[in-house]
Amino acid sequence: MSLCKTRLQEERKQWRKDHPFGFYAKPAKGQDGSLDLTQWTAGIPGKAGTLWSDAVYPITITFPEEYPSKPPKVKFPANFYHPNVYPSGTICLSILNEEQDWRPAITLKQIVLGIQELLDTPNPDSPAQEPAWKAFMKDKALYEKKVKEQAKRYVNAGSM
Amino acid sequence: MARNTYLKKVLGEDRLERLANTKVIMIGAGGIGCELLKDLLLSGYGEIHIVDLDTVTLSNLNRQFLFRKKDIDKSKSLTIAKAVQSFNYFNAKLVPHHGNIMDTTQFPLSWWDQFSFIYNALDNLEARRYVNKMALFLKKPLMESGTTGFEGQIQPIYPYYSECFDCQAKVTPKTYPVCTIRSTPSLPVHCITWAKEFLFHQLFDESESDLSNSETIQNETDDAQEIENLAQEANELIELRKSIKTTDASPFIEQLVLKIFKGDIERLLLIDTLWKSRKKPTPLDWSTYKAPVTGMLSDISNQSLLINDTKVWTVLENIYVLYKSGSILQRRIKSGKESFISFDKDDEDTLNFVAAAANLRSSIFNIPIMSKFDIKQIAGNIIPAIATTNAIISGFSSLNGTRYFKYNYDQTGSVDFTPISKESSTVFISIKPNKYITAAALVSPNEKCPSSSLLSRGVFQITEEQRQTLTLGELVEKLVKKYGYEEGDLSVIVGKSRLVYDIDFDDNVEKKLSEIGGIGDGELILVQDENDRLENLELYVKVTDEEREHVLPELKLRPKKSVGDDQSVETEEESGGDVEQVDGVVNENDAIVIIDEEDDGLVELDEPALKKRRIQVQSLA
Repeated sequence: MSLCKTRLQEERKQWRKDHPFGFYAKPAKGQDGSLDLTQWTAGIPGKAGTLWSDAVYPITITFPEEYPSKPPKVKFPANFYHPNVYPSGTICLSILNEEQDWRPAITLKQIVLGIQELLDTPNPDSPAQEPAWKAFMKDKALYEKKVKEQAKRYVNAGSM
Repeated sequence: MARNTYLKKVLGEDRLERLANTKVIMIGAGGIGCELLKDLLLSGYGEIHIVDLDTVTLSNLNRQFLFRKKDIDKSKSLTIAKAVQSFNYFNAKLVPHHGNIMDTTQFPLSWWDQFSFIYNALDNLEARRYVNKMALFLKKPLMESGTTGFEGQIQPIYPYYSECFDCQAKVTPKTYPVCTIRSTPSLPVHCITWAKEFLFHQLFDESESDLSNSETIQNETDDAQEIENLAQEANELIELRKSIKTTDASPFIEQLVLKIFKGDIERLLLIDTLWKSRKKPTPLDWSTYKAPVTGMLSDISNQSLLINDTKVWTVLENIYVLYKSGSILQRRIKSGKESFISFDKDDEDTLNFVAAAANLRSSIFNIPIMSKFDIKQIAGNIIPAIATTNAIISGFSSLNGTRYFKYNYDQTGSVDFTPISKESSTVFISIKPNKYITAAALVSPNEKCPSSSLLSRGVFQITEEQRQTLTLGELVEKLVKKYGYEEGDLSVIVGKSRLVYDIDFDDNVEKKLSEIGGIGDGELILVQDENDRLENLELYVKVTDEEREHVLPELKLRPKKSVGDDQSVETEEESGGDVEQVDGVVNENDAIVIIDEEDDGLVELDEPALKKRRIQVQSLA
């Protein structure tokens, strides 16, 4: 649908004009040399002063044909350690859920900021994976250790 | 008395003369098409082209009255053109085309240009959207029509003067969450979907069912116990499938029944969280049914049950039908003639199996049981088609269409549709008392519509040789020069969503147009002003043999309206305003207007998301 493509180019333009510091987001380059506006990669920096700081966490964003009526699907790498991330990497966040808080007016910038916020303030009421959720609830020391280990792995992850 | 005496009185001599010299096209030769072609032919059009890609099937014959049994498997368009010859009283020229209307080789833009009016008699969204776009490109009037059961509507579309097909968001088919289907059904349709898409699919069909896709499931539920349970259920079915060829019928079905209606349900009951706010299911009590089913199976007269479509089977009878159909399906696979079987509503064995399994699951979850006939409607996605609805809608379509020829648009070449769009109306019909027919005046295009607003369209004509020498960078320069974009600050998107150029992405500027997929004959290019000064531009690529310089269309791009810019989005967003309005997505209730009748037959409809519409109510005597 043409609404999908005009909106996606608009998102790209808005991102170019103004995006939060430390983040990056770009459409994937296809084999034919064009950019596929429905497939993006982006990086979410952990907030300073949190367990997640000093690292940039990569995500993929997939926009469906019905976008913006339907939300994009956003994923971390598989087995990403966070209470609200499924083993597949899919992020459980209400603004990304069509049946919950997704609205067509939500922008790319708001999505990535929402995910950054989620990193350090997990929602214990909607667990998506067992290891991180259990540790977060019962063993904070283990949780912090695991998160910091993970942060080290993403220290040099690409930034723009 | 001449045959056109009355027609002359109704339409007037001028108009009749105009119609006789007019070429129209009817797209679709099915339920509406059969009725509509008759109407168009008897209205006196000079030349009618008919396009359809389908062939006649048996199930068409009850309502598509221009087809006969001998026509089965023949082309619909060719057959229909012949069938009407017996009453072609005004000697219209009929030109059938067997093909897909979206095929740009068979039906290039230049082909469309010959018609004065487009009548749609289509049955799917994709083709409707495509024809709508062609109508917008060529500024041709389009009559849209559609029916479901007793409801139907026509919508005249006068490009850029009235709403186009895309101005109102269409409702997409409903899908159910996997977990509702697999763990917590509450409606008959959930159980039918389970029986057809999951159980039947896993047991007999080729590839794995989507409903056992572990990723989909993980995205929907965060209950680890439920995920594990669903995986186990699916794996056990796979085991059972493996045993189809090695087990005898009776033990195979018994294992199946015990697993899906007893074991699986008992295991489901162990997950407490599922039943906190729901009624618990009751596993099948196999011990009370085993003996009676064996008894039924030994009496051949019970087979009549299988063909009794309208009877609501009891639990016992459903088990019997499951046994019968299950063992036939097993035999079909065992015989080696079929390596897998797909569900087909017209394949009785598959339908019996799905109906019985769905009903048994319903009874376990305290959901009403349905007859095979009713299940067939749902499982086969059958929308009832009613000949009378089609006939009425076709009548309105043709009648509203002839209204256009009161004006002499063809000769003047004018595309100012102001007068005609004021006189035309959208018509809805329904079975509701006093609301048989409702008519609504046409409204201006929706400002948020992606197809008819903020967009200019034109044909970009180029020879094949030029396509192979001109670079993308050169094309961008030409666009800048021709339409006045600021230096290079535009974006070019081809295909569905492939960006090939913007100010931040110049990797392709040296490439020839032919090296960039998506700039071939019949393809569309979307050009947007990154500075938001000019409206969007959509170009239709036309590759010709004409030896001349490539031509960009003569257009003056209008200034872009400030609708939907990010600021207004932000405010709507923060105030929690009506987001549907922001992006032009209209809720489904707007699609069909149902209103109360008032004394003067005029009602003001209050639509907060849209402009007010004046609705005229008439009753059919």
